[in-house]
Amino acid sequence: MTIMPPRKHGDASDGMVGGRLTRFEGSLKLTGAATYALEYPIDNLAHAALVQSTIAAGRVVSVDVTRALASPGVLMVLTPEDDLGLRVSADWQGNRPEDKPYHPLPREVQFNGQSIAAVIAESREQATEAAKLVVVTYEETSPVMSIDDPAAGEGKLMDNLTIGWGDAEAALAASPVRIESEYSTPREYHCAMEPHGLTAKWDGDELTIWEPSQWSHGMARMYAEWFAMDYEKVRIISPYIGGGFGSKGQPLAYGAVAVAAARKLGRPVQLAVTRPQNFTSYGGRAATRQTIALGASEDGVLQAIVHRGRTETSVYMDYPEQTGAATPILYKVENFSSQSRVVPVNTVTPGALRGPGKNPSAYGIESAMEELAYKLDMDPLELRLKNYADHDYQSGKPWSTRMLREALTQGAAAFGWEKRSQQPRSMRDGKTLIGWGIGCGTFPVIRAPSEAMIRVLANGRVEVVSGSIDMGQGTYTILAQTAAEALGVPVSQVDVLLGDSRMPGSSIAGGSMLAGSITGAVHKAAIAARDELIGLALNETGSPFRDTGANTLSLVGGRIEASRGGGPSLSLQELMQALGRDELEIRRNTLAENAQTPDDQKQAWTTMSKVQGPTSGDLSMHSWAAHFVEVRIDEDFGTIRVSRMVSAFDCGRLYNPKLVESQWKGGIIMGIGQALLEEGVVDPRNGRTINSNMADYLVPTNADIPDIEVISVGVPDLDASTLGGKGVGEVGIVGVAPAIANAVFHATGKRIRDLPITLEKLM
Amino acid sequence: MTRTIHLNLDINGKGYDLDVEPRVTLLDALRDHLVLTGTKKGCDQGQCGACTCHVDGRRVLSCLTLAAQVEGRQVETIEGLSGADGTLHAVQAAFLEQDAFQCGYCTPGQIMSAVACIREGHAGSDAEIREYMSGNLCRCGAYNSIVAAVRQAAQAVVPATKEMADA
Amino acid sequence: MRDFSYLRASTLDEARQAVLQAGASILAGGTTLIDLAKCGVAEPETVVDISHLEGLSGIEVTPQSVTIGALSRMSDVADHSGIQAEMPAVSESLLLAASAQLRNMATIGGNVMQRTRCPYFRDPGTFPACNKRNPGSGCSALGGITRNHAVLGTSEHCLASNPGDLAVALVAFDAVVDLGSRRVPFDEFFLLPGDTPDRETVLQPGEMIIGLSIPKSAAAKNSTYLKVRDRQSYEFAAASAAVGLELEDDGRTVRDIRVGLGGVATKPWRARAVEQALIGKVLDDATIKAASLLAMEGAVAQSDNTYKIDLVPRVVARAIETVSTDKSGGLA
Repeated sequence: MTIMPPRKHGDASDGMVGGRLTRFEGSLKLTGAATYALEYPIDNLAHAALVQSTIAAGRVVSVDVTRALASPGVLMVLTPEDDLGLRVSADWQGNRPEDKPYHPLPREVQFNGQSIAAVIAESREQATEAAKLVVVTYEETSPVMSIDDPAAGEGKLMDNLTIGWGDAEAALAASPVRIESEYSTPREYHCAMEPHGLTAKWDGDELTIWEPSQWSHGMARMYAEWFAMDYEKVRIISPYIGGGFGSKGQPLAYGAVAVAAARKLGRPVQLAVTRPQNFTSYGGRAATRQTIALGASEDGVLQAIVHRGRTETSVYMDYPEQTGAATPILYKVENFSSQSRVVPVNTVTPGALRGPGKNPSAYGIESAMEELAYKLDMDPLELRLKNYADHDYQSGKPWSTRMLREALTQGAAAFGWEKRSQQPRSMRDGKTLIGWGIGCGTFPVIRAPSEAMIRVLANGRVEVVSGSIDMGQGTYTILAQTAAEALGVPVSQVDVLLGDSRMPGSSIAGGSMLAGSITGAVHKAAIAARDELIGLALNETGSPFRDTGANTLSLVGGRIEASRGGGPSLSLQELMQALGRDELEIRRNTLAENAQTPDDQKQAWTTMSKVQGPTSGDLSMHSWAAHFVEVRIDEDFGTIRVSRMVSAFDCGRLYNPKLVESQWKGGIIMGIGQALLEEGVVDPRNGRTINSNMADYLVPTNADIPDIEVISVGVPDLDASTLGGKGVGEVGIVGVAPAIANAVFHATGKRIRDLPITLEKLM
Repeated sequence: MTRTIHLNLDINGKGYDLDVEPRVTLLDALRDHLVLTGTKKGCDQGQCGACTCHVDGRRVLSCLTLAAQVEGRQVETIEGLSGADGTLHAVQAAFLEQDAFQCGYCTPGQIMSAVACIREGHAGSDAEIREYMSGNLCRCGAYNSIVAAVRQAAQAVVPATKEMADA
Repeated sequence: MRDFSYLRASTLDEARQAVLQAGASILAGGTTLIDLAKCGVAEPETVVDISHLEGLSGIEVTPQSVTIGALSRMSDVADHSGIQAEMPAVSESLLLAASAQLRNMATIGGNVMQRTRCPYFRDPGTFPACNKRNPGSGCSALGGITRNHAVLGTSEHCLASNPGDLAVALVAFDAVVDLGSRRVPFDEFFLLPGDTPDRETVLQPGEMIIGLSIPKSAAAKNSTYLKVRDRQSYEFAAASAAVGLELEDDGRTVRDIRVGLGGVATKPWRARAVEQALIGKVLDDATIKAASLLAMEGAVAQSDNTYKIDLVPRVVARAIETVSTDKSGGLA
């Protein structure tokens, strides 16, 4: 028996991989029929509301719940007094060093806005109002308010983030041209449009949780560990997620509270985290400070990069925002040194926000490169091309694919860069100063195993089943395309089921790793399903092909027939009938053959322990971007508007360019917000984030965003993933903020080194 | 005991009876009491536009509207927009074609806002669309496509309206 | 929100009687009351819904003035062709405020009565001290983050800025607030915080705004509203100005000029010093610039809002330039 090779990738028709298929689940979202976590009608539901601390550091001495308990409809108040019986869970890597209790409503206050009590009532309104009646008495201790607080100190050196080669300090000292600057970014927040929250329901010892999740399996595992129960007894349901951007990859304290309350109460409990509470219930991007010194020859050849980073973390966990992540790999440099510190302050532990590490890192190095270009009086584009990295100088490995040169040159051509004048303040339109800037971006290819199931039903429809999630990246769509192409059926014949931890395992939708990972698994399962169908058609009793003497069959356009033509031609439905089958189910994963035990599998889907970084093999694999920006600045008011933008990307092969373009633009727009608007403002007296709402924490509106042109310069990278794609989701934002800061300098002659660039900084 | 009142609300042309506390907002009435969850809660503070629906044909924020206030008025939500047979409204169809959404959470509000924006005559240029759609935040950043979709739908809707007026 | 009872008023008298009851609050568009009730700032016992009252939402343009019923929606006023023609700054101030949805909800009476956006005022759970909410408790903004606070009209008891846009145009063009039993000039309707920041207007118990009247003037007819902010839309002003200008028959000399300021003062602010400095003067860049600096007379900045001292005169100057620019594009 020979089996026809699968159809070539990149079929032009929309339903195949590489096609511009419209969003697969689109109609459900457009009509309001897509159900997000808090939208499942559940009988006998009680509602929980959080009480958060109003001091930055100290100890809860007492909680007076008398008035809250007496308030109408209140069923229960949970406080630090209540031992909820939880155990600490393992971390993302699966490490669980010691078994100790976990208190999601702790007595120790570590930051302002920490959840310390919860009120559960019959209605949302009753719980919310009663929560205001809880009176907490504290014993305050002296907090560290922010990275700028003199009490914060220099922080802890993160040895594992120290990078170096050559002799950077000496090379810098010997360089005829040098620049050195400090760059800073504030606390930034995800602000996904869907606030966090969950509904938890116990049925005996089984737990169902409806919660927006970027990682259904990982979150189910962590809930199971908290509540000391079997992983299999926890089910996370999350078919639609109203944006995550890194914030919805793990269960959080409020989740533990809701689940514990539901168990204690014997009723399903819904906890909706209010918008202000979203600013402190999980961490946004850490505030960062980095100093970068560049040394170059007089003709602009980089001699040395010295980078020192400091980033905020909490007082109870070290979360390094890696400001040295992009610094070593963007340019050719023989001498390099980077050190990173974390500075504990009284904040919720920061977390991953779109392009973690790479984003502030690129802001630093790409601002510094532009400063160097002006010092050299050299076109910033020319400086970047001159120092183009022919390989990865950090790992010493060759790139898998790196089309950054093409991104720079094609982006420049589309933007009209050659019309630029070098001098700052040389372009204006009346009182409007005009400036152009460049920023490069990068994000690593992170690979992880996944599994997938293909189910062929008696009616001929094909189901793709995966516990992976779609928070808007397009998982539904590209999995339908992948399965349709590999199986040889029209995409209209395919259904996709996602977002349930009971479904086949998958990597996290984070680190831009999901698409490459899950398409690999679906492709493998679909090929296996096709082979299985053909094998059955050739060999099973009842199959009209059995006696045709054919030894090959093909499945094309949903019909199975002899590859040479002639003879029977059956639809999948007809074939399933002929075979007398109700269903054909094929499950495949992309774990190594020798790592297929149940433990291996559980580890793979619920921890990060099998995740491989960009240089884990012989190559160095990354996505790349070059952003070109025009800003228009009112010279009297300092108001900045981005008026034009062209961004060119190398993300390898695009599984669905229409959706990729949307995601790139989304990243770019978040970058515009980061550059010009976004800043968590902390009251220096009590550590409170005082702009914890969508009116005061400014994200871009429609009016802030010009038409953005995006260009793909990538080529398939089959080392990066089965189908040749590299990560798409995060690289869009990386490099946008420096491009804008650079354009602002070009327009005004003012170098603003602390984001966001608000109007008073330019006045 | 908290006070409850009886309301009869006209939503998408259908009457709904419900007993709620007077403080229940239209948004919570729709989502928690009537299982009309297409209208989304993004901020609950009038700052994001996700809860946009129409009252007497005008776009408003249901999070700052009491359910009690709209008794006697006509409420239209995203669930009432497409045809009974599931045919998408011109604005919904344009959103699909232009990929004017990603996560989908702000989308019903964007669409209700876009329908009104066109009806108000505020879709005359891209700049006008941008400004009049700025009350609907989208964190996924679908703004370019939203403008394209509104422009496309306006071109589809306006001639149709004009034809009706001419006829 | 605290539990409250809901009363839908069917007549103005019924509404007036109802709001005399302790703990009663008027509900019109809801964009302020419901918002503040959610924040825990407003805790009404009874909500008196006046949004269904008839006869309070008319807009009338007479030879002398424009009158606007208190229940007119912001969007209706903004889109009114008579108002656009007679006093463009009024229309523009509305269109640059909030969002289309909020403008469809908020009434003109409610818009005038909107409360400050001071984050300390809006977070009673974390910042108990607020003289506006709780007289005598102190001011949390003093020594706090003050980027968006007022620099004009402040006191040691309150720095909260009035967030209104329309109010800036109304104070510039001498609007009159109609309370039914009495009429109050707009500038006198608002009180400076002084040592009673909880008292923001001259409204007495049982009184409510019935409507507004804005006298027509040549200055109003040639007017503009300029709003400066970091975000292009849907944001309160860092600074704003409503400016109207009437020139003498020579087409060069200022006969009448009105300057209102927003985003920078504890109440809608009339910059009379700027006006007086320009009346009778021929407008040129230097004159405009010098006069605009007077807008900041008496300003007191905090640590984070000193930029407003520089920004406001530039906003005023630009707005004056805008209204003084003739059709050919140069200064008149």
